[in-house]
Amino acid sequence: MALLDIKNLTLYLDGPGETIKALEKVTFTLQEGEIKALVGESGSGKTLVVKAIIGALPEHWRVKADRLTYKGQDLLKMNYEQRRQIMRREIAVVFQEPTSSLDPSVKLGEQIQESIPDEFVTKKWFWERNKQRKEIATGLLHKVGIREHDRWMNSYPYQLPADVSQKIMIAMALASEPRILIADDSTRGMESTTKTQVLKLLLKLNKTKNLSILFVSHDLLAITTIADTITVLYCGQTVESGKVKSLLKRPLHPYTKALLDSVPSFQSALKTKSPLTALSGTIPSLQHLPAGCRLGPRCPNARKKCVQVPIMRSIQGHNYSCHYPLHLPKAGKKDPTDDKFGEQDPIKFNLINPALEEDSADD
Amino acid sequence: MTKILCVKDLSYTNSRKTGLFSAPRTFVLGPISFDMVKGETIAIIGNNGAGKSLTAKVLAGAIRPSSGSITFITDETSQQSSHSHPIRMILQHSSSAMNPALSLGSVLHNTLKLNTRLDEAQRQEKIKETLKLVGLLRDHYYYYSHMMSDGQQQRAALARALILDPKIIVADEPFAALDPSVRSQTVNLILKLQHELGLGFVFISHNIGIVRHISDRVLVMDKGQIIEAGRTEEVLADPKEVLTQKLVQSHFSLVERHASLV
Repeated sequence: MALLDIKNLTLYLDGPGETIKALEKVTFTLQEGEIKALVGESGSGKTLVVKAIIGALPEHWRVKADRLTYKGQDLLKMNYEQRRQIMRREIAVVFQEPTSSLDPSVKLGEQIQESIPDEFVTKKWFWERNKQRKEIATGLLHKVGIREHDRWMNSYPYQLPADVSQKIMIAMALASEPRILIADDSTRGMESTTKTQVLKLLLKLNKTKNLSILFVSHDLLAITTIADTITVLYCGQTVESGKVKSLLKRPLHPYTKALLDSVPSFQSALKTKSPLTALSGTIPSLQHLPAGCRLGPRCPNARKKCVQVPIMRSIQGHNYSCHYPLHLPKAGKKDPTDDKFGEQDPIKFNLINPALEEDSADD
Repeated sequence: MTKILCVKDLSYTNSRKTGLFSAPRTFVLGPISFDMVKGETIAIIGNNGAGKSLTAKVLAGAIRPSSGSITFITDETSQQSSHSHPIRMILQHSSSAMNPALSLGSVLHNTLKLNTRLDEAQRQEKIKETLKLVGLLRDHYYYYSHMMSDGQQQRAALARALILDPKIIVADEPFAALDPSVRSQTVNLILKLQHELGLGFVFISHNIGIVRHISDRVLVMDKGQIIEAGRTEEVLADPKEVLTQKLVQSHFSLVERHASLV
């Protein structure tokens, strides 16, 4: 059974006169021991997904979901205490920008000790308990690969380099021995050596402790290194999800392709100084969301039909949400996993003649 | 190739007193020496705290160097226009680098007003040209920084740098804060401008992939010194110093993993 199961998570934001869907039908599952990457640019709502899972959204935001369960327990139906208990012990989050999520006025040693659950401190007397807390904290720092534990425990957050604070955040998240670690943009702005270290650490935790990781990022190089599966978000919609390998080999959604193309290192044949392929425009703001498929205005293949939200289709565990997927299956060859293929309008797989295409989009 | 910039023995010492009796903490940058030819792209890579940003600031004139010289070599055949600043800088976070209380138009206008002897009509004309050059619309003249998206802000920062007709642009991590698709757009824009205007471009980046893609030469910095320099493909293919090897290897280990999947 999936550890974390999210189906059709929609997030409504009541504005003046209209209701905005900040997230629209986000669906994914996180299995035991899996590393899942949630990919999206800023404004795609990946942080909102994280906040919806941990219940840190403002109260006037309405969260609706067919399923939002942790180990089969419905997170939305829980009361505050129960939910808090799960967040405290089972799901840990490493937030964006570690230096600003730490308390600037408290020494790090104290902050780390504070994150250790009381159950772990077994000694009776307070001096013994204090000592034990300190030992656990030191152990945690060693676990994440920080050797100078005394130095960092006696310093304040502003004194930390970015990589150390990232590691300390991970250490604090691991203090309660969680089942799921949610890492929100953990490698942003790091140079490659530090990035590799953090990624190695996450991978090691996943292997040794069977920790499930939800890795939220837009750094595709990092993602392909550690993730097993990817879910791509655009503007609050899930556009594509599947195994890393199949997504890299055959991206079906134009947005996924654009993301992959934006990494020059992925294209060995790319001539230096040649222009990179990029989608025009930028991600729209929440107030100006386009109707239907939200990539529409930027999409090179957009047609009339794209004003309707495409339904999620699946080919061998590779899900996509697009009316005109790339790397099309041959026209007429019906895919067994998808009964919608071919029977609606076979012409849509044959995009050579745009005039024909217009006709088919009309009906 | 014509040499346009000659940096010689540039150094800067920053010492900060931490306590009454403790010895002051000093950071010594340089001496740094390098040359730059017309239209060249130089990338600076290195770990955090290696003095990369400081180098950029010293180059752009934001910080006065302790010693050494930065010589800008003008082309004798072409007349230097009256309102030209040879080196301009783009700051790391273009969103916070622009005054939120001023529209893009007035930011650009002030830049011209304070630095050139152009009259009002010429200034407006220049602003119009520059906005078009970086791919913004005439309407963006009236936009404030919060009304623009990341990509547009980056373009605005470029416009502010380009409006004084520089020959060299120094950029401190211009791509780090950008999303992948906007980053590609910016890379394309810079490549295009370089092609059209023959700009020299010095930039700092963590992203070895982009460094490999757009730079001609690379400088590797550590503890205020340039420890390795050379043509990008040569340095990346055969790094001599341990630090460079580490940087390059850790990047390519990520790429290899990708290659093994596809």
